[in-house]
Amino acid sequence: MNVKTRAGEPAPATTGTGAAFRPVGGGSPRRLSAWRRQQLAGWLFLTPAIAYLLFAFALPIVYNVMLSFERTSPATIANFTAPFAGLDNYRFVLNDSTSRTAIVHTLEFTVGSLVGQFIIGFSLALLFSLRFPGRTFARSLIIVPWLLPLIVTGVMFRFLFQAEGGAVNQVLKSLGLVDQSVQWLNDPHLAMWTILVANIWLGVPFFTLLLYSALQDVPVEVKEAAVIDGAGPWQRLRYVIVPIILPVIEVTLLLGFVFTVKVFDLVIGLTGGGPANSTQLITTWSYNLSFQVFSFGEGAALNNLLLVMALVAAPLYLMLSRDSLRRSSGAGT
Amino acid sequence: VTHLQRSRALRWLCSLAAAAALVIMLFPVYAIIVGSFESTETLFSGTFYWLPHAATLDNFRTVLQGGSATQTTVGGSQVGNVVTSLVVGLGTVLLSLVVAVPAAYALSKYRLRVTVVLVSSMLVAQIVPSIVLATSLFIVFHWIHLLNSYPALILADGTYAIPFAILVLRAFFFSLPNELMYAARVDGASEWQTFRLIVIPLARSAVITVSVFAFLAGWGDFIFALTILNGTGIQPITLGIYSYLGNYSTDWGAVMAAGVIAMVPAAVLLVMAQRYIATGLTAGAVRG
Repeated sequence: MNVKTRAGEPAPATTGTGAAFRPVGGGSPRRLSAWRRQQLAGWLFLTPAIAYLLFAFALPIVYNVMLSFERTSPATIANFTAPFAGLDNYRFVLNDSTSRTAIVHTLEFTVGSLVGQFIIGFSLALLFSLRFPGRTFARSLIIVPWLLPLIVTGVMFRFLFQAEGGAVNQVLKSLGLVDQSVQWLNDPHLAMWTILVANIWLGVPFFTLLLYSALQDVPVEVKEAAVIDGAGPWQRLRYVIVPIILPVIEVTLLLGFVFTVKVFDLVIGLTGGGPANSTQLITTWSYNLSFQVFSFGEGAALNNLLLVMALVAAPLYLMLSRDSLRRSSGAGT
Repeated sequence: VTHLQRSRALRWLCSLAAAAALVIMLFPVYAIIVGSFESTETLFSGTFYWLPHAATLDNFRTVLQGGSATQTTVGGSQVGNVVTSLVVGLGTVLLSLVVAVPAAYALSKYRLRVTVVLVSSMLVAQIVPSIVLATSLFIVFHWIHLLNSYPALILADGTYAIPFAILVLRAFFFSLPNELMYAARVDGASEWQTFRLIVIPLARSAVITVSVFAFLAGWGDFIFALTILNGTGIQPITLGIYSYLGNYSTDWGAVMAAGVIAMVPAAVLLVMAQRYIATGLTAGAVRG
């Protein structure tokens, strides 16, 4: 059946309200054509997205896998492919001490960030769910950190953490907590704290807002029932509210994880991975391997480790999103 | 003390706590704004001033006119870079809408076999770290001679915005009653006409939410600009800021003035599109 000649015709009304279904063999020819026309339209609507997905995600990911098995050099970049290298790039990455510490740093950074973001974000969400003067105003301003370009956040904290003339040291000194300037950015043992603080600062608005909106959705009756049953504030939180908003907590932590393993700009702006690679994460070290020393194969191998680490979250994310996944209102036939 | 008085006291205590939280959360932004008005001498004096100390516009002059107080390697004006960032931001919005609006519509209102696979792909795509894409895209763009170009940067920046846009718009389209589409079809509208004349106008708020986030993603992108542009051609403001950083001689005045300029869109959008930002955040916008 020629779709084009049919396109101008009025479509037959679908029977029922939401009961759209695909007619199986033996359906009337008019019906079948409407179904086909809608299938075609649906696919056409999807074409740009599918093309984009293939170009911007599938191709780079596949190519990254290819690169990780190739012996690349600055000269091979022009050729798209390079000689096969077997597992050499992975062997390099696993034996390279900076790569190894970058993996450890990424884990520390991720866990530390999530703990900090969750504790502060949840506390603020609880605070904002109480009634007090100015709470709408406070809630609207708390999202500011989240809106800034990440590189700006990075340099901002570099400024605050300077040993001399940095606000952090000045506060600590005036409170009498330290008497000498703390070398936040020059001491390899301390630099990790600076990127942690900056990243927690960055993630708090996101945690606060997501958890706040979940708290808003807890039915008032449930809370009242708990009060009537004699539950104290802590018990209400622990046994009534947290179980109800648990799915949102899970999604929030998951998205926080996803965000944190990707962090790059913030660290480049704040410490540049230093001092002495003490804040080198997988992302920043991979950038260094690929774009500073032009070992794209080794960079790609490290990228793949990062990708595997990040994708650990994928099954969980899909599972938590399963309702939305299966959902289909099916206005088409 | 009556019950009423106690609860009133508690409320003010909450306000106080919220105010303290806000001061801490906004202090870094305040510090960079104050810093942008400080002279180079003040910034290197080793003392942090809580209020502007001998305020000057020199840093903004440096940033807008070119040159640097401490570095000889950078000298370019940031005006062109701001324009570049605007173009990239708007380009990311345009690309995201063209790709995401029809796709989200199809994924919510048509029964297609690929729906589950595609929606899952969008969820997984949000997880993929940008550095993984950047390394490959650099070589791919090199190969197809697209390095140092707007299209390359916008295509790359779309990776921040498009999966999120499709998921948010799809959730929105579910809220549109199917009867709208049935009615349009009965009236003889083609699928395209239904989409163009009925669906898109109704999707305004969701489209604004998605656009705000796409713009901020394109405007604030650093990693793709760092990898796909080699510094000889176009340069966004984020790279401009980076150029003032040095291992030993950071031009703090210029860094902060350029940083303040880079914060302007966020400030404008916070005032003008606050509702949409909150919606987008709650929908789980992941960045980076």
